[in-house]
Amino acid sequence: MTTVRIGLCSLAHDHAFSYLKCLQRIPDVEVAGVWDAEPGVLERVARQFDVSIHTDLKSLLIRDLDGVIICSTNAHHRQHVEMAAPHVPCILCEKPIATTESDGLAMLEICQRTDARLQIAFPVRFAPAIVEAKRILDQGDLGVVYSAACTNQGSMPGGWFVNAALSGGGAVMDHTVHVIDLLRWFWDTEVTEVYAEIGQSLLHPGLGIDDTGLLSFQLANGIYGTLDTSWSRPPGYRIWGNVTLDIVGAEGVLAVDAFGQALTLTSEDTGRTHMQPWGASPDLGLIQDFVDMIRSGREPSISGYDGMQALRVALAAYQSARTNLPVSLPPCPRKRKED
Amino acid sequence: MMWKVGIVGAGNIAQIHGQCWSDLPVRLQGWFDVVPAAALRAAQTWGGAIFDSLEDLLADCDIVDICTSVQHHRDVVWAAADRGKAIVCEKPLARTVADCEEIVAYCKNAEVRLFVAHVVRFFPQFVAARETLLSGQLGKPATIRTVRAFGFPGGGHHEAAQPYGDLPRSGGVVLDVAIHDIDYQRWCLGEVERVFARGLWDAGIPQTDHALIVLRFASGAIGHIEASWAHKQGLSRTHLEIAGTQGIVEWDSRDKDPLEMATVGTGGVRKLTPYPGQDHPWHAELSHFVQCLESGEPFRVSPVDGLMAVKIAEAALHSIRTGRPVHMAKFRR
Repeated sequence: MTTVRIGLCSLAHDHAFSYLKCLQRIPDVEVAGVWDAEPGVLERVARQFDVSIHTDLKSLLIRDLDGVIICSTNAHHRQHVEMAAPHVPCILCEKPIATTESDGLAMLEICQRTDARLQIAFPVRFAPAIVEAKRILDQGDLGVVYSAACTNQGSMPGGWFVNAALSGGGAVMDHTVHVIDLLRWFWDTEVTEVYAEIGQSLLHPGLGIDDTGLLSFQLANGIYGTLDTSWSRPPGYRIWGNVTLDIVGAEGVLAVDAFGQALTLTSEDTGRTHMQPWGASPDLGLIQDFVDMIRSGREPSISGYDGMQALRVALAAYQSARTNLPVSLPPCPRKRKED
Repeated sequence: MMWKVGIVGAGNIAQIHGQCWSDLPVRLQGWFDVVPAAALRAAQTWGGAIFDSLEDLLADCDIVDICTSVQHHRDVVWAAADRGKAIVCEKPLARTVADCEEIVAYCKNAEVRLFVAHVVRFFPQFVAARETLLSGQLGKPATIRTVRAFGFPGGGHHEAAQPYGDLPRSGGVVLDVAIHDIDYQRWCLGEVERVFARGLWDAGIPQTDHALIVLRFASGAIGHIEASWAHKQGLSRTHLEIAGTQGIVEWDSRDKDPLEMATVGTGGVRKLTPYPGQDHPWHAELSHFVQCLESGEPFRVSPVDGLMAVKIAEAALHSIRTGRPVHMAKFRR
């Protein structure tokens, strides 16, 4: 099998380190190089992993890569996708796709023009409980589904995540898109309306950005639901956060805890009790899927359009919180690459 | 002196009240129900006489415990207040805000004591979570989430389900179930500024109701309530989470219980956690009522608390119907 050469653009998002570990576990995949704007970060990654480092992004992108993974800050996704698309045929971009609708659309456009295939990093789709939930729902075991009460609560990440200029928003920007992507995928549907209550610095006084969010949404298929995006897990909590969906149907209920497969670990190293994942890793599933897309030449399983639709819901939530009114999302014509 | 208690309405909740009254140092005088057979069954189980009319019952007791369906609360409260009785009224206080306001004013004028039986304020887990919050260990509260999910009341086809099945009249799961959470969340976090909800109240699905309610408190905190009559038998769930600037407190009925049993042939695990004495929520609630009567102390639930819970629940129904948020300061119904 020919070796797949993948570059890593930026280590701003912590997931980059997880993705690097995943890449090293997949046979016939080579990490062709890593770029980051911060020399200190590059030195750290060079110490931890056997990879070549680049202080100039262009020099990495022109190294005949099969794919590139972009883990820069949300606000830099557009710039980096625009730089990569002319040189690299496959791009995996961290979520959310961008911080504004226009940036996201520009990214879709450049990829279409250059024939680059763009995948968005929604690893939760690869959590075993989520995959099985999708199968159960497809099978119709719940009958007519009425509602989905969801959470993507987490710890406050700090760093650039709380700098609106780099992140595009706080907890609502960070934690809306994963679950919305799952719901769109489960039922091949779209969010048609969002109402949101959002709190600034409610959980973390002085933070200066939204850290509390509760969305109430309507899907085009008639299902309604809520999504709690709050950074409400304190330091020392047993797990970084969660993705849960409590789905109610005419024939039954389904409770999904995507990261519930974990051991309870107590260690003097950390001085606390926390959850240690076991079994299949969602991040590894995502990276394997990306490598498979590169090898097979197929379309991405999670497209840039999927990323856009999830982003639109987060942006609508902020709009709703500003006006205290529900916000309708216009039905967008499906602009998939194959159309 | 031994308080003499009369129970009006001998349905499901009255059985629990009957048991608790019979354990308390009061005299259970008896029962009145528009269905005489129901009163007879209750009297045979928990003791006391059967009264032929509400008037007869009122003539023979000091405490009136109102366990009728919600549509009759106002009339029975008025009759009891006219006779100067101390009153326990099941939640919700009444079906409409207007009825609640009349009840509150009437009892105030008559100078009778009225306790609204919001029993969640007496569940030990919920009491402990609030005490944790008040102790400051959570810092300033920012989010509160509760779930109260059951099957449709009365097993779906039972006669007792009929008043609930008429959702416009009963107010459905919002008026009957979410009202517990509304009251509890308000007890913990104070007044509600804004309400938005989605649900099945006007969806016209027989024997089914469900709602997801978003509350914004005047303090800025955000509340979430899932209330369900769509969970079918055996799939019930209760959940509580309060998160603040310094910490988080959680409880879930799905968690392992302190006492669980599985036996050959029955299948599944039965949760057998005992609620001894004051831990038994209904016992605690009625015991508290009697203590307050004797001491003159205010009740844990005031008549206005009962009114506000109905008002917020009505706002949630209004939001479900209109698709718009309701600003409580402007809400007149």
